[in-house]
Amino acid sequence: MAILIFGFLALMLFGLPVAVAMAGASLIYILTSGSVPDIVVAQRMIAGIESFPLLAVPFFILAGNLMNVAGITGRIYNFAVALVGWMKGGLGQVNIIGSVIFSGMSGTAIADAAGLGAIEIKAMKDHGYSTEFSVGVTAASATLGPIIPPSLPFVIYGMMANVSIGALFVAGILPGLFMTLLMMFTVAYFARKNGWGADTPFVWSRLGEATLEIVIVLAFPMAIWLMTTYAGVSVNLAAGGAFAVLLALDWYFNFSAVMALMAPVILIGGMTMGWFTPTEAAMAAVIWALFLGLVRYRSMTFKTLAKATFDTIETTASVLFIVTAASIFAWLLTTTQAAQLLADWILSVTQNKWVFLLLANVLILFVGCFIDTIAAITILVPILLPIVLKLHIDPIHFGLIMTLNLMVGLLHPPLGMVLFVLARISKMSVERTTMAIVPWLIPLLLALVAITYIPQITLWLPQYMGMLK
Amino acid sequence: MSAVADNLNAPHEVAAEELVASFAEADHHEVDLGGYSVEDWICFGFFWLMSGLVFLQFFSRYVLNSSYAWTEELAVYCLIPVVFIGSAMCVRRSRHIQVNILYRYLPAAAARICSTLVDVARTAFFAYVAWLVARYALAVDNEPMTTIEWNKSHVYWLAFAGFALMLVRSVQVSWVNFAQGYSILERPEAYDGADE
Repeated sequence: MAILIFGFLALMLFGLPVAVAMAGASLIYILTSGSVPDIVVAQRMIAGIESFPLLAVPFFILAGNLMNVAGITGRIYNFAVALVGWMKGGLGQVNIIGSVIFSGMSGTAIADAAGLGAIEIKAMKDHGYSTEFSVGVTAASATLGPIIPPSLPFVIYGMMANVSIGALFVAGILPGLFMTLLMMFTVAYFARKNGWGADTPFVWSRLGEATLEIVIVLAFPMAIWLMTTYAGVSVNLAAGGAFAVLLALDWYFNFSAVMALMAPVILIGGMTMGWFTPTEAAMAAVIWALFLGLVRYRSMTFKTLAKATFDTIETTASVLFIVTAASIFAWLLTTTQAAQLLADWILSVTQNKWVFLLLANVLILFVGCFIDTIAAITILVPILLPIVLKLHIDPIHFGLIMTLNLMVGLLHPPLGMVLFVLARISKMSVERTTMAIVPWLIPLLLALVAITYIPQITLWLPQYMGMLK
Repeated sequence: MSAVADNLNAPHEVAAEELVASFAEADHHEVDLGGYSVEDWICFGFFWLMSGLVFLQFFSRYVLNSSYAWTEELAVYCLIPVVFIGSAMCVRRSRHIQVNILYRYLPAAAARICSTLVDVARTAFFAYVAWLVARYALAVDNEPMTTIEWNKSHVYWLAFAGFALMLVRSVQVSWVNFAQGYSILERPEAYDGADE
């Protein structure tokens, strides 16, 4: 057992790919203990990705990558500037709103930080903000990516913990909005403290147009719901009709961001209404992105499409290769009773659910500072989930807590991936980047405490939608 | 961007259009596909085959109101080559998720030795697992798929192909690292522009 856990940590710190460290430690354990034949490694690794729900992973990644080349990024920022650019510290708010919208289309924090981060930081610097502030906002808002659905960590958690991925996604909506508000308050606080004005004059008509676009986007699922519940129209017909009206309106008025904002509505709305499984929702988002890029805005070329595919394959392979390795590693953790021993030990320390949650937070935060998100989920779920169930904590609530902890861990030294990505993009030293991010840990930790100790923030919406048992 | 010249050191009010213009380059993409090799394009084929199958499943369920069961199973089998052959792409481009914290503190000579050991260990791992997967594929020979009468071991041979490619690419990367005298662990910044 010690070989398994310490072997993995040692191999990983030495610089082997995380997946190779996990599967390698498992292989060494099997070869030295001789408990099972070594061919089990091959069998478990392949079986680890033979699962239909996992197909959601490549398509969520693809949807996000296609959206990036669908010619809508500029439109989304245009919309965000109209909505919040007039506030004090406007570009900070624009940065957050932009991240919120993009996290409704893609599922990873690091990709958000790397792709949009570079553009956001440059834009903020061009308009007089310090590099530190720009990096801080970008880092903090990148953590929203996996909380607001869709989210890769939720897919992996749902698979490991055997809970509904759809319910996890719905559970992420309110915490995501809550965190958005906390961050916007933080930007407002900085703006007040530093005496910043607005970045652009306040114009009623611009704000009105942006608000109208939100109303139209929200009217879409509302109309379908009304038609199906009260007018007795079939879902296919209602959805088809609503799309036809929307396309006609968009063609006539040329909205700035309605079509882009529809992506998260299709994804999240489709899943909350129970029409789509996560994989189907991801497929719907891919089709929508292709429609926008190839038909509506015509900005996609074969080359950008191919590049988006290759990027998707690369991200999918690097994430799911960890899942294959984790599948043998987690299996050994469970069968060797290692997980059981750790669970018994934790239960001997406390039987109180709130104390346990505190300890779990500290543990996950600590692990998250050292280990990659997907790997951390695959290791921690087999260890912690039995305790969670024993103490009557909802596994969906716990999934939110775990993911948020791991996201905060991404910003933390020594191994925060987002930290390093942003340090490289902004050309600051890791030490300066760390100092830039530290103030942003305050709202994030506040959110963490609130989400841990007020389960209703997480559970109210899925309960209301009837997605919990 | 006209106002870059008025180099104010604090945020200041400008026209909304100007703010928006700073984000314009986000929709500008330069693409060079020259860096991709044959196996990447094979993987590309499997990826879109998988997308097509999932789309067919989606279409048959929502439009034809009866979903084809085989699309689901075949799509999952496409995911296997996408992941394992795609992993070979990650090995070649040094894109697997890894941790280089140790190398920030190690002196150069020690770092060279450690990262060479990492290259050797990674290559040995891929060699061993490739051999295991081959044995596994032989062991399950003749097992049919669930929904159609195809031999399931073909899928495992694709996984083997992925591991074999990882092995080959790992040897290649190790050789390059040896020849140039550093690896991505020691100088991550040298690999930064590799994407563009």
